[in-house]
Amino acid sequence: MKDIARQRMSISVETMDLLNNQIKMEAHASASYLAMASWCDQNAFTQSAAFFYNQSVEERSHMMKIFQFVNDCGGSAISPAVGQTNHDFSSLEEVFETALEQEIQVTKSIHNIVNECKKNNDYNVENFLQWFIVEQLEEEKTMRDILDMFDLIGRDGIALKMIDERVTISEGGGETE
Amino acid sequence: MVLVYKSEFYALYQNDIERCYFLDFGHKTIKFSFCQLLALRHKINSISITDHFDSSVNKHGFEVLTLCNKSHLFVFNTLEILDLNQLIQQSLLAVGISIPCNSVACVY
Repeated sequence: MKDIARQRMSISVETMDLLNNQIKMEAHASASYLAMASWCDQNAFTQSAAFFYNQSVEERSHMMKIFQFVNDCGGSAISPAVGQTNHDFSSLEEVFETALEQEIQVTKSIHNIVNECKKNNDYNVENFLQWFIVEQLEEEKTMRDILDMFDLIGRDGIALKMIDERVTISEGGGETE
Repeated sequence: MVLVYKSEFYALYQNDIERCYFLDFGHKTIKFSFCQLLALRHKINSISITDHFDSSVNKHGFEVLTLCNKSHLFVFNTLEILDLNQLIQQSLLAVGISIPCNSVACVY
């Protein structure tokens, strides 16, 4: 009996499911960042808005990377449906805290897939996800650095304006790939 | 053709020459490519079986599925869906493209 399934697909169906789940997560992150960009725009934090618009595009590019990988492996990538996204924030700090929390969840999910790949000797996927591990480290650092500014500069009117300006100077420029 | 797995109602066969699968539904046998088999798996996994026991959501307990790029249309009852799910799961295990569920963090 020929190994037709293996000829057609180089990853296990369970790994494919985990990657499809990750696609959904990245799509949700992209939509979430768009909501944050909208909030920042509405509250006159224009530099932060630009930063989140950029983040949204970046998350979508992550999603596409996984999407194409699943299909390249002979799997079936599923176009994700994005559910409800939160548009309500009480402060700029909360926006960045939510963004960091979201990045942590994405990191955990990627680590979980890598863990499963190690268990199942799925070397292709493990190797593919190494790029995401490094990327997540950078993403978390970016958010953490911005949150540190609230402790350093303050949380009042002029401080918020200064933070907003620094988001672009310190982070925004380096974000575009 | 080689039998891959036989469930209570259905059976899946592999055809090495055509490099495809044949699913015997009892009254009808349908040719599936590997991708079409994955698509069927996704459709079955997307079905909420608990809705079959809630008459306000699924009044008659039926599922209408189009298979192989809308070439075929099937109506399945609850038992048939569960059986088809079992067939796909066990078949993918048998052909070595699936890992036993207890060793993987299942997302479904």
